[in-house]
Amino acid sequence: MSAAPVLLHSSASASAASASVAASVAGAAYLVAALLFILSLHGLSKHETARRGVRLWRARVVEMTGMPELIALLHSFVGLAAVIVGWNGALDPGEIDGALLGIHHAEVFIGVFIGAVTFTGSIVAFLKLSARISSKPLMLPGKNVLNLGALVAFVGLTVWYVITPDLWLLIVVTVLALLLGWHLVASIGGGDMPVVVSMLNSYSGWAAAAAGFILSNDLLIVTGALVGSSGAYLSYIMC
Amino acid sequence: MTRIGIVAERGGETRVSLTPPTVVRLITLGYEVAVEAGAGAASSFPDAAYTDAGADVTDRVGAWGADIVVMVTAPSADDVALLRDGATVIGMLAPAFRPEVRESLATRGITALSLDAVPRISRAQSMDVLSSMANISGYRAVVEAAHEFGRFFTGQVTAAGKVPPAKVLVAGAGVAGLAAIGTAASLGAIVRATDPRPEVADQVKSVGGEYLPVEVDEVMESSDGYAKATSEAYDRRAAEIYTEQAADVDIIITTALIPGRAAPRLITASDVAQMKPGSVIVDMAAAQGGNVEGSVAGERIVTENGVTILGYTDLAGRLPAQASQLYSTNVYNLVALLTPGKDGQLTIDFDDIVQRGVTIVRDGESTWPPPPVQVSAAPKPVAGEPAPKPEPKKAPAWRTPVLLGAAAVLLFVVTAIAPPPIPQHFTVLVLSIIIGFFVIGKVHHALHTPLMSVTNAISGIIVVGAMLQLASGVLVVQILAAIAVLLASINIFGGFAVTRRMLAMFSKGETR
Repeated sequence: MSAAPVLLHSSASASAASASVAASVAGAAYLVAALLFILSLHGLSKHETARRGVRLWRARVVEMTGMPELIALLHSFVGLAAVIVGWNGALDPGEIDGALLGIHHAEVFIGVFIGAVTFTGSIVAFLKLSARISSKPLMLPGKNVLNLGALVAFVGLTVWYVITPDLWLLIVVTVLALLLGWHLVASIGGGDMPVVVSMLNSYSGWAAAAAGFILSNDLLIVTGALVGSSGAYLSYIMC
Repeated sequence: MTRIGIVAERGGETRVSLTPPTVVRLITLGYEVAVEAGAGAASSFPDAAYTDAGADVTDRVGAWGADIVVMVTAPSADDVALLRDGATVIGMLAPAFRPEVRESLATRGITALSLDAVPRISRAQSMDVLSSMANISGYRAVVEAAHEFGRFFTGQVTAAGKVPPAKVLVAGAGVAGLAAIGTAASLGAIVRATDPRPEVADQVKSVGGEYLPVEVDEVMESSDGYAKATSEAYDRRAAEIYTEQAADVDIIITTALIPGRAAPRLITASDVAQMKPGSVIVDMAAAQGGNVEGSVAGERIVTENGVTILGYTDLAGRLPAQASQLYSTNVYNLVALLTPGKDGQLTIDFDDIVQRGVTIVRDGESTWPPPPVQVSAAPKPVAGEPAPKPEPKKAPAWRTPVLLGAAAVLLFVVTAIAPPPIPQHFTVLVLSIIIGFFVIGKVHHALHTPLMSVTNAISGIIVVGAMLQLASGVLVVQILAAIAVLLASINIFGGFAVTRRMLAMFSKGETR
């Protein structure tokens, strides 16, 4: 939906001379794209307008009952993409200094964490929904302690990374988040998967918002927050 | 093997007690089935259909001589003479109205089960022929009325003028009444209904009618599901209502019966005289004395002022194929209940109130009447204050304000302290979250799954981040970014396609 304005920005940024003009054009494009996203979600508020908000691609032949697992699978892609964007943010931070740099590190860390949790969580959700693994919940002893411990470790590592941005810390948190994502969803029974998918939806939204902070991109923040809050609200309703 | 005999009905009865599809099911239950030649002819079930279903075609003696003899109407003395000793008879034996039938069967170890004596409880509904036949009769009553009536039932606006809908009054909202209301309403008429039991108001409304209450002080709720005979005050007020309605409506269908007594007279001759010429009255209680003054059982009468009164007593029999099929299913359900071992052995357990109620003669001894059964749709009288429902788990009242307060403080701190452009980003973040809640809150429940799908697709917005990183100077970053773009794009395109597929299911058949 917003491919055109984004391409405009990418090519324009190559030219330093027109950078400022490009920046405001890009900013305007972002705003319009964000508005369109909001409208598309609002369009779903009525059956009639719901179909107007979705583009005309040829639908793939997928069994209707296969929809939730397909959503979960597609989701994992978003999670992985968010992890990559986070990593890239660490590998090529651009020109930031001072306090902003520390914040940048935090954003990267958080973005990677959320993205990785979403990635493995969605994979497990997909496997459960498509009956490729058992839908029985995995009951590890002290599973709540494990989850809580992982979160505490994450907070600690974030602080550490902000102070000393070593790459190995990033690797550690990626692995930690991948495991946490797997464990979180594996502990949930197959019947609750739809709520989980909705929750993961929400997480991926927050991951995108985090990426928006990293890249200082309002469109990502707006869209990510929209998706994040809508997923959270939906999960809450579904419970 | 126990043999079931299907007899041919006489005396103009068009129905047959068991149909070929039911024969198949009985054979699966372990029985052998024989059918009298020509039994199903009047209801469109030829003998060939029976043989295809696995039954033997036999003659009258053979059918009546079976171990279990199934029929629609009660047997005559000649029929009873053909019965075997110890045989079981299943049919509509009218134990309350025709004691002579019951007495003729209380001999030679015969067991008689009367399908019209099934207790009127939900569990026994599958065996209740009075309900299944009344349902058909109610429908047919409207069809007969429409056949006689000279105008449309439904209203129409045509080039040749406006046609008002017909007005129909149905007296009595039991099974037959409700069927009549539903049929007349589906034909497009305005339907009103009366019934002494106020608890039927909702049922009437649900099939498309308007309930006309008779407001008197006493309460007419019933304990056994049947309407009681009514008091004088009630009758007076009801008579007024009928007189008002008679002058207004085009069709009247009466279904009022009282168990064990003559049918109540609801519509008087003067009411009939007030009706417009061309009006039609169907008196479904004509056989039990009639609800309408001037109706004659089994006949079609036209009064001086041009009102047609139908007193047909065989309304269900006028849809023989349908009535036979439903009757047959009732019989099967009873036999299945009495064949718990699915082995073709009929056993009767008197501890079951349904089986007790249905049995009017057991092993040659009369067992009628059975102990009364308590059944009611009336609401129980309120006994003191109802216990307060346990409160659903609500979050403590202080939670929301505290959370909001904490969020506000956090936002303040961040915006005040953080260097730009963080505060702007945070502003955008917070506003988006709020918009998100409002926009999503309005989405209809049924659309939640497509919503999940489209928000998933939209979360592919991460592609923007990846694209920005494509412009990086670091090669590793560029490669990783390209991969991320690919992944996010798959999510976007796939996600929207899936959403579109889902929304297509909501299409109300409009062409695009």
